[in-house]
Amino acid sequence: MVSGDGATVTIITGAGSGIGRAAALRLARRGDRLALCDLDEKGLRETARQIEGFSGSAEIAVVDVRNRPGVENWCAEVIQKYGKIDYVFCNAGVNARGQAAEMRLADWTLLLDTHLTGTFHVCQTVLRDMVERKAGAIVISSSDFAIVGMRYGANYAAAKTGLYSLTKALALEFAPRGIRVNAIGPGPIDTPLLRGGRSPAEWEEFRREYESRLPMKRLGKPEEVAAVVDFLLSDRAAYITGQLLHPNGGQVMW
Amino acid sequence: MPSNEHTGRVTVITGGNSGIGGAIADRLQSEGAKVSVLDLKPRTKDGPSSVSLQAPPIISHQVDVSRESDVDKIFDAIARREGGIDYLVCCAAVFSARPFLELSQEDWQKTLEINLTGCFLCCRAALRHMRARGFGRIVLFSSMLARTGGINCAHYSASKGGILGLARSFALEVAHENIRVNTISPGVTDTPQPRAFLSQEELQARAAGNPLGRIGNVEDMVQACLFLLADESSYFTGQDIRVNGGANLW
Repeated sequence: MVSGDGATVTIITGAGSGIGRAAALRLARRGDRLALCDLDEKGLRETARQIEGFSGSAEIAVVDVRNRPGVENWCAEVIQKYGKIDYVFCNAGVNARGQAAEMRLADWTLLLDTHLTGTFHVCQTVLRDMVERKAGAIVISSSDFAIVGMRYGANYAAAKTGLYSLTKALALEFAPRGIRVNAIGPGPIDTPLLRGGRSPAEWEEFRREYESRLPMKRLGKPEEVAAVVDFLLSDRAAYITGQLLHPNGGQVMW
Repeated sequence: MPSNEHTGRVTVITGGNSGIGGAIADRLQSEGAKVSVLDLKPRTKDGPSSVSLQAPPIISHQVDVSRESDVDKIFDAIARREGGIDYLVCCAAVFSARPFLELSQEDWQKTLEINLTGCFLCCRAALRHMRARGFGRIVLFSSMLARTGGINCAHYSASKGGILGLARSFALEVAHENIRVNTISPGVTDTPQPRAFLSQEELQARAAGNPLGRIGNVEDMVQACLFLLADESSYFTGQDIRVNGGANLW
């Protein structure tokens, strides 16, 4: 439940592209005041430009979620400016595929630090404010791979499964204080992360082959994930906590 | 959420005369959907304040959802009258608490027939009409007990677990036809059904033991159902939304 006066205040990490940007646009349209961060300043500026296009409101900041003081300063600035943080979408992430036997420690650590520890930093920081007001909701970007595992993605799957476990632990701990924590497990969504490093021809080939194997025969759109974030970060989901919702086109059912 | 998305949608709701189904019927009717209810009992509610007088009234049909020919006939009649079927919401269910050794085959059979076979028959009948127009949204109500099980409810838990398997397989079969099939698994919800076998004290104990500190209410289930019927959930199929306040997390 949202507390206090004025518009809902929502912060989103990883808002410079893909699902994070789509969520920012959707929540700006519904009237939320937004604070957005990303490592990619150019992408962040583009998100803000699109929001200003329909007179929405968004503050942007280049923040590395792995950097605890950076996260704390960012959240403190948001609270200073808006007085509170109602909703959080923890979405910052990177990918680095590779066989586990050949995986460099740096690629393992990068994913764990960014997805899992970065989300921990954001959650711990905002929850200190939320428990004061006994209100708030968080959505964490997990993945289908948290459930079914991922070949050549030991680091990614470990990070995303860790995020699902973090979601459940936080949900149980903070439910008595009126705060809900849920996760989303998107399937194959057409984002820069999924396209990652493929030439246009390679991407077309990959997409066609992938889509033929999907129950819905198409990739998802970032906007289709944003709609789920919109639902979970609202009182419409007042009795939903600790859950993993899957906008995945039927790729994984469990 | 656009308030007019459901306007004109031809909707069939089983068990739609009371409890969760009744509330979903009222909400969709107030949003302008053309709602037909299949239920063994007549409507119990006096009608909520939100019911729109401009929208078509809810039409209630007395049907046993476990009777194949009756189900086929009523879906054909509704589709003929309204021009097709857009939404199917299956809430019809029976529950009777039975210790396992006192669970008669008759109790077992009746529970499976209404709760699970009823869903199958309604899905199959609806699909014939949805497929013709390349559009369909289906929501089946399972239960938290499908996963957790529960004392004195082996038959009910089995029927609700079966719904999850039915929904996933059916979802895979029709996913490429713009027909989506999803489920909702409520925890204990404040309706006449749990009150029939749980005392007020027991219900209060359930609320106190729930992470969010209350039992569910019908509005929680209405919201989840509308989400799954709407375009908001356009990339969802074969999914189960667990609306339980954190009482069960898997």
